[in-house]
Amino acid sequence: MATNERLFVLPGETIDPSLIPTHKKHPLRLGPGLRHIPPSDIVPTVAGQLITNPLKNSMWVEYNSHRYIPSQGDIILAQILRSTTDFYLCSIAPYSAPATLPHLAFESATKKTRPQLAPGSLVYARVSLANRHMDPELECVNPSTGKADGLGPITGNGCVFDVSLGFARRLLMARSREDGGVGVLEMLGGEEGGGLAFETAAGRNGKVWVGSESPRTVVIVGRALQETDKGGLGIEEQRRLVKRLVKEMR
Amino acid sequence: MPREVEPSLNERQFVLQALQENLRLDGRELDQYRPLELNFGEEYGVADVTLGKTRVLAKATAEVTVPYTDRPLDGIFTIATELSPMTSPSFEVNRPTETEVLLSRLLEKTVRRSGALDTESLCLVAGQKCWSVRVDVHVLSHDGNLIDAACFAVVAALRHFRKPDTSMEAGVLTVYTPAEREPVPLSWLHSPFCVTWSFFGEDGEIAVLDATWLEEQVRMGSCTVSLNKHGEICQIAKLGGTPVDAVALLQCTSVALTKVKEFSELMDRRLAEDLKRRDKGGFMAQLRADNDR
Repeated sequence: MATNERLFVLPGETIDPSLIPTHKKHPLRLGPGLRHIPPSDIVPTVAGQLITNPLKNSMWVEYNSHRYIPSQGDIILAQILRSTTDFYLCSIAPYSAPATLPHLAFESATKKTRPQLAPGSLVYARVSLANRHMDPELECVNPSTGKADGLGPITGNGCVFDVSLGFARRLLMARSREDGGVGVLEMLGGEEGGGLAFETAAGRNGKVWVGSESPRTVVIVGRALQETDKGGLGIEEQRRLVKRLVKEMR
Repeated sequence: MPREVEPSLNERQFVLQALQENLRLDGRELDQYRPLELNFGEEYGVADVTLGKTRVLAKATAEVTVPYTDRPLDGIFTIATELSPMTSPSFEVNRPTETEVLLSRLLEKTVRRSGALDTESLCLVAGQKCWSVRVDVHVLSHDGNLIDAACFAVVAALRHFRKPDTSMEAGVLTVYTPAEREPVPLSWLHSPFCVTWSFFGEDGEIAVLDATWLEEQVRMGSCTVSLNKHGEICQIAKLGGTPVDAVALLQCTSVALTKVKEFSELMDRRLAEDLKRRDKGGFMAQLRADNDR
């Protein structure tokens, strides 16, 4: 759980030692945007909000960048480019190196039962390997249990909407309304939106898939997400936006 | 050169399905433009046009050169289009893509060949000296419908442009600086605008105005109509794609005319506003030596 206190840091700024979390057992973990300069300096490399997590003994800088850099464990929305003998090549961000997705990295996939994906199909996948100078690797299955856990090819009516990376991270937070300040999806499905029925798959690479039987619902949800992101709307403004969009599109 | 990203199958399918139900991803009507904005720079002849997320900057310049030998009485007028990697990494300098070639060709046909600028008025000394007017089109960001935005920018830049005043006395040609004499506008005859229709569906039965980049990648064909506010059609370009019903095309041109009237009105208003902004006002202000002419 992140603390509510949000300190804005600039690159190269010194961080007050009292802000650095300490823990009896876990070693200190540095996330994106921070750099350890031996012996004992921790320096931010980007401008953003410094967030610390005392329970996990970790700290990182929350910032909104434009280019997605994969890191291990990220859930992303990838697009198949083509298939080779053993794996699919997927695009995870425009104009960057393709990621590989092994043919057998799907739930209960064997050589005969593996899903056949055409170029251009979408998969919801996890980054299983991300090293700095190698192409990233993806998987659509939890390797320890062999279950899909919601990952896999995305089918059905729906469309992909581009959002900023920071907004995608906020959407993916466990408590996106409290921590991320994004309540727009709950509102659209709830009272304000008149109970629209839709499903979403948000990827950390700044892509959100919105699916629904009715194209109108998809357009409403997609526009609500993009406008919330673009305008940096708060909860109350999001409520007004949802009401306006639902009224406009009916 | 990195390849352009193609939209996914889901997106292609959805865009078409939504258009069948008269829906667009940004909630516009089928024949509605994105908000069009026009701003002029500090200098004369700089026009910055934003159409949704598409942004085009056009700059007009003039210099004195020797006219072409086969056209001694005409000035020179060129439009240079460049799609740089800033627009999208898939564009490369000095290697024009199909988009770029088509864009410059359409601008050429619309603005130059329709005689919007009177090139004879650019002649200074027959066969020896003439003005060479050049418009550089820079595409700063590409989110579909480059043609309409670029054409609007070119026309705006040329109408805003002022070339230095000249005089001819006893065989001596004098070009005055802006401090000496107020620069003069070009001899502009009419303002043509492009309106691009995109066609979707098996037989191109759905016609859409001002397609975004995603819609442009999915469309079956397109047709660009250039006309001025009096309804005089300068050119119609329908380059490949599915065949479209003739009656539908006629309807498209009549809708295009209403759009062109709106464009024309917007441009006149913005030009008048800019003129007012530059006008320092008052006789004394005009007479002052440091008057920003």
